[in-house]
Amino acid sequence: MLRLLSSIYKEFLILIRDRAGLAILFIMPLVLILIMTVIQDATFKTVKQVNISMILVNNDKDSLGEAISEGLYASEFFQIVEEIDGEKITKEKAEELVAQGKYKLGIIIPERATEAIRGNVNALINKSFKSFNIPGVKKRTKKSTIDITIYIDPVTSQSFKNMVMSSLKEFTSQLEIEMFFKNFSEAMAQLMPDQKPIKFESFGTINYKEIYASTTNDEILPNSVQHNVPAWTMFAMFFIVLPLAGNIIKERDDGSAFRLKTMPGSFITIMFSKIFVFLGVSFLQFILMLLVGVYIMPLLGLPQLEIGSHKIALGVMALASGLAATGYGVLIGTIATTHEQAATFGAVSIIIFAALGGIWVPAYVMPPALRIISQFSPLHWGLNGFYDIFLRGGDLTVVLSETAKLLTFFIIMLGLAIVYNKLNKTK
Amino acid sequence: MQENHHIIEIKYLTKYYKGLITPAIDNINLNIDQGEIFGLLGPNGAGKTTTISILCGLFGPTSGNVFIDGMQFQHSAEKIKSIIGVVPQEIALYPSLTAKENLRFFGHLYGLKGKHLKTRIDECLELFGLEKNANRRIKTFSGGMKRRINLIAGILHKPKIIYLDEPTVGVDVQSRNVILEHLRDLNKEGTTIIYTSHYMEEAENFCSRVAIIDKGNIITKGKPTELIDSKEEYTDLESIFLNITGRALRDE
Repeated sequence: MLRLLSSIYKEFLILIRDRAGLAILFIMPLVLILIMTVIQDATFKTVKQVNISMILVNNDKDSLGEAISEGLYASEFFQIVEEIDGEKITKEKAEELVAQGKYKLGIIIPERATEAIRGNVNALINKSFKSFNIPGVKKRTKKSTIDITIYIDPVTSQSFKNMVMSSLKEFTSQLEIEMFFKNFSEAMAQLMPDQKPIKFESFGTINYKEIYASTTNDEILPNSVQHNVPAWTMFAMFFIVLPLAGNIIKERDDGSAFRLKTMPGSFITIMFSKIFVFLGVSFLQFILMLLVGVYIMPLLGLPQLEIGSHKIALGVMALASGLAATGYGVLIGTIATTHEQAATFGAVSIIIFAALGGIWVPAYVMPPALRIISQFSPLHWGLNGFYDIFLRGGDLTVVLSETAKLLTFFIIMLGLAIVYNKLNKTK
Repeated sequence: MQENHHIIEIKYLTKYYKGLITPAIDNINLNIDQGEIFGLLGPNGAGKTTTISILCGLFGPTSGNVFIDGMQFQHSAEKIKSIIGVVPQEIALYPSLTAKENLRFFGHLYGLKGKHLKTRIDECLELFGLEKNANRRIKTFSGGMKRRINLIAGILHKPKIIYLDEPTVGVDVQSRNVILEHLRDLNKEGTTIIYTSHYMEEAENFCSRVAIIDKGNIITKGKPTELIDSKEEYTDLESIFLNITGRALRDE
C-alpha cells in the first residue's frame, strides 16, 4: 500500500509541475467542446437563424415566379438577392457568382414558367371534360415541361441543398394544385351554372405533434448543447491517452523505468498509480466540461446544459469512461517504443473510435457493416451512456450495460499491457 | 579459516536474444564472494550489460542459473530485489522532483518509511555533500550532482549487493573521488559491489577482483595485481585489456 500511495504522490507531483502539460490537459478539451458545440449548433438551429444568402433570378413574372419569390422571402430562411448595384442579376451572372463561392445557391425561374403549368393544368382538365365541350376551357392538350435551374456551390451541404429543393417542390406543387383546383372549379361552374366557383383553401386536417420520447418524467429538450457536450466530452476524455502514454514512455526513456524494474513492487502497482492520477484528471476534465455547458455556453448564446437529476449515473459513467481511456493509454504507452508512435497511433485510433462511435455521424445512419463495427467502439458505449442520461433521462440502471462494457474494455487493455510487459521481459 | 560465502553464483549462464544466432553471453560460470568489489570489464557489446541485467532480474537467461544470496529470481524475485541496489549508467531520476522527493519515493519502494527513511535520506545527502540541495529539483543539478543522487537512490536501503554500471562516467574528478570513496566505505561495511567501467585505471585501483569479458565469454579473471604480475609485458590493467580484447574498434 505504501508503494502505491508513494507512486500516486510521485505521479501527482510530476503532473502538477508540468504547467504547460496541465494547461493542455484542461484548457484544450474546454476549447474543443466550446468550438464544436458552437459549430454544431448551426445544424440544430432552424435555417431561419442561419440566414444564408441566395440569388433569385425570376424571369417568369407570373404566378409561379411570384409564389416562389414570396415563399422564399416569407420563410426568412434566406437572404434573397435579386440585384447587384441596382442591376438585375442575369442567369449567366448568377452562375458566375455561385461558381465563385460568393453565394451558396442561385435559383433561375425561366420565362413563361407559369404559363407552362397553366397549360398542363388546362390540358388535364380538357382531358377530363372532353365530352362536355366547355366553351371557356382552352383546347390545349400538349404537355409542357419547364426547367427551374438551381446553381449550387459545391461546398454547400447536401442537407441544406435538400431542404431548398424540398421547399421549391412544395411551392410548385402547391401552385399546381391551386391552379388545377381553380380551373377545375371554373369548369364545373360552367357545367352547373347554379354552383358558384369554390375558392381553394387548405384544410389543415393533419397536424404534426412532436414529442421527445423519454422513459422518465424528465422533460429534456434535445438541442445542440445536450447533443454535443456529452459527445465531445467523451472524445476529449479519451485524449488523456496521449499524456498518459507519453508519461510511460518518458519514464522508460529517462531510465527511471529501468530502476523501477529492479526494485521491489510490481508493474501493476506502478501502472495503477498512473491510472489513479490520470483518472482523476479525466474526471476533473469531465466536471469542467459540464460546468462550461451549464455556465459558459449560455453566455455564448447557446442553450444551457441540463444535467438532469441522475448525478450518480453521470459520475459512474464518467469514471467508467475515464477508466476505459486510461486503460487504453497504459496499453499504448507499454507497447509504443517512441513518443511519435504513441502520439500518432493514439490520436488516429481515438479519431477512428470516435468516428465509429457516432461522434460525428450518428451510428444509425452508417452502412450496415460499420454499424456492426461501431458496437465495439468504447466511445460508442460512452456516448450511448451519456445520451441515455442527458437526452433520455436514464438513471444508473439504464447505463449499467454501457458501464460494464467500458469497465471490461479497461480490464482487457490493462491485461494486454501486463501480458506484453511479461513477454517483453522474457525477450 | 572460514570459507568465503558466494553471494552471487553464476552457473552455465547463456543468453540468446531473439533473432540473433550468436549468444550475448555464452556459458559463463562465475562466483562472487560477499564483500568483494568485483569489476566486470570488457569492450562495448562484450556481454557486461546482459550479465548485469540478468543479475538484476530484468530478464531471464536462455539457460543456466543465477543464485543471489542462495535465492533464484524464479522463486524469490521480490526478496532478491530488496537486497540488491542498482545504479544504472543513465540518470534514472525524475527531473521535476527534488532530490528529497526522488529519494523518498525510491525509499518507499524499498519499504523504508517514517523517521527511519528521513534519517537515512539526510545521512546520505550529507555524506555526498548534497544536503544544501536537498529541496532543489533534479533538472537544476549539475552532471556530477545527478550522478551522486543516482548513486544514493541505489544504496538508500543499505543493500547487500550493489550493481554499478559506469557510475563515474562523465563526472568531474571531485565527484568521482566522493563517489568512489563512499563506495569503499560501503564495501568496508560488508556490501558486495559489482562494477562495470571503461576506466581501467579506476577499476585497477577500486576492484578487489576483475573479470574481463569479451564476445560473451570470460577471458580472464583474478585480482588486478595478480593479473598484472602474470606476464612480463603487462604493465597495468589497460595493457591486459588491450592484449586480450585487441585494439580493433568495437561497436555497441
